[in-house]
Amino acid sequence: MLSVTDLRAGYGAINILWDVSLRFPLGQLTAIIGPNGAGKTTLLRAIMGLIPVTLGDVTLDSYSLRGRNTWDMAGMGLALIPEGRMVFADMSVEDNLAMGAFPKPHRPALARNLERVFGLFPRLHERRRQLAGSLSGGEAQMLALGRGLMSEPRLLLIDEPSLGLAPVIVHEIFAILRGLKEQGVTIVLVEQNTHMALAVADSVYLMRSGRVLLNERAAAVDSQRLHDLYFAREG
Amino acid sequence: MAELILQALYSGLLNGGVYALMAIGLALSFGTMRVINLAHGELVLLAAYMAYVVESRLDLSPLAAIPLAMAVACAGSALVYLLVARIRKNRELNSLMLSFAIGIIITNAVLLIWSGDIHSTGSVSLQEAVQLGSLYSMRSELYGFLASLVLVTLLWQWLAKSWYGRAVRAVSSQRDAAKLMGINPAKTELISFLVAGLLAGCAGVALYSSSVIQPSLGHALTVKAFIITVLAGVGSVPGVLAASVLLGITEALTVTLWSSAVQELAGMLLFLLVLFVLPNGLFGAARRRA
Repeated sequence: MLSVTDLRAGYGAINILWDVSLRFPLGQLTAIIGPNGAGKTTLLRAIMGLIPVTLGDVTLDSYSLRGRNTWDMAGMGLALIPEGRMVFADMSVEDNLAMGAFPKPHRPALARNLERVFGLFPRLHERRRQLAGSLSGGEAQMLALGRGLMSEPRLLLIDEPSLGLAPVIVHEIFAILRGLKEQGVTIVLVEQNTHMALAVADSVYLMRSGRVLLNERAAAVDSQRLHDLYFAREG
Repeated sequence: MAELILQALYSGLLNGGVYALMAIGLALSFGTMRVINLAHGELVLLAAYMAYVVESRLDLSPLAAIPLAMAVACAGSALVYLLVARIRKNRELNSLMLSFAIGIIITNAVLLIWSGDIHSTGSVSLQEAVQLGSLYSMRSELYGFLASLVLVTLLWQWLAKSWYGRAVRAVSSQRDAAKLMGINPAKTELISFLVAGLLAGCAGVALYSSSVIQPSLGHALTVKAFIITVLAGVGSVPGVLAASVLLGITEALTVTLWSSAVQELAGMLLFLLVLFVLPNGLFGAARRRA
């Protein structure tokens, strides 16, 4: 279980997260939804150590991740697919994927994992020699996801995978997330596309203004109430 | 006349090889960290003085100084990195001042230790003329050129194929994403500066073997390396080799057809002309975003 307890974090003098607590049970897909500026991306960045935590803790199986280096996370089985994809634009698609297996323990499995990722995303195989900067938005999102899977993470954090993509590609990516969940990967999905997120999630958190407003099983969510909270008509 | 021009082209080509060795370390640290190490030429010069010390004190060939020259240049390069990495604000500008100051310190240390005299190798075998068809060069120039070809190719392959070489490119492209891949950016950048130091060490030995050194030369070397880096365009290893050869040939032709007094001017004019027509350099692609 990945747990976030009373987490406070932000950027320098500007605090974003106000003592949020969330739990991500193993083997489940947990969706975090909420409007712009809710602190969803900040939460993921704080979990991965990309920004410092002021107060509170992040634990993986009761083992604290607070204050750890971001580059040690991949070795512990965590991967974040960042918002805006962040592919290495002037490297080939294949080299981008290889970088996903950078930590020494993952290198022996490079060939096997390349094959697995190319199996999930045949389009990346076709374009493996192209520079990542020449890919379309959908292909770049696939590359970012594939790159994150190269380290065979137990825990996958994904930030807004549907942002700016055509519906057909969004469906493709969500189908892959569902497949990963069936293989036992724990997934934390940050998404503004509430409808899509609820369809794949086991449970859902709603965040607004750096706080958690709602935590329910996805099947039990009252969409009218969610809608009201989302648009700040209540609470 | 045709023979003279052919000879100038040949000399320029060989010289360009040594220029590439001098410039490639600067290009590497510029490419990875956006830091222009203005002490780079001084590090090359320091390495050249190591060759002088080994030859004059130990009575060995300057080539025997390669390990020492590499070690000294590596240590200097690592020092520059560690100091630059401590800069928190406005790194691009402040690193210029910092490395410029390190260069001045090195120049004056060299002056203090070895005085202002000029030195060149006394090795007969290195200075011997080697004939290639109707073209002549010193043996050391040919060695320098060949060493440069080998080292530049090795560096190119390292950046393209090795784990840390690719990590260097990943860090310079998307620092946060590289961290998420398990790459420690500080370690990666230090490695790139150490590699730049190794190359500067070789460049210093090549410089001493084929030319004349004196304490104030470091600054001129930095300028030359900088011109080549910009001519080549950021991020292109073969570009550095091509730009170096272009500069070498331009200088050699200027000397042959006009006068050695305007050799440096010709290099500067070439620099301005290329930048005027190709603002990204000869081989620099417009940087893509993703």
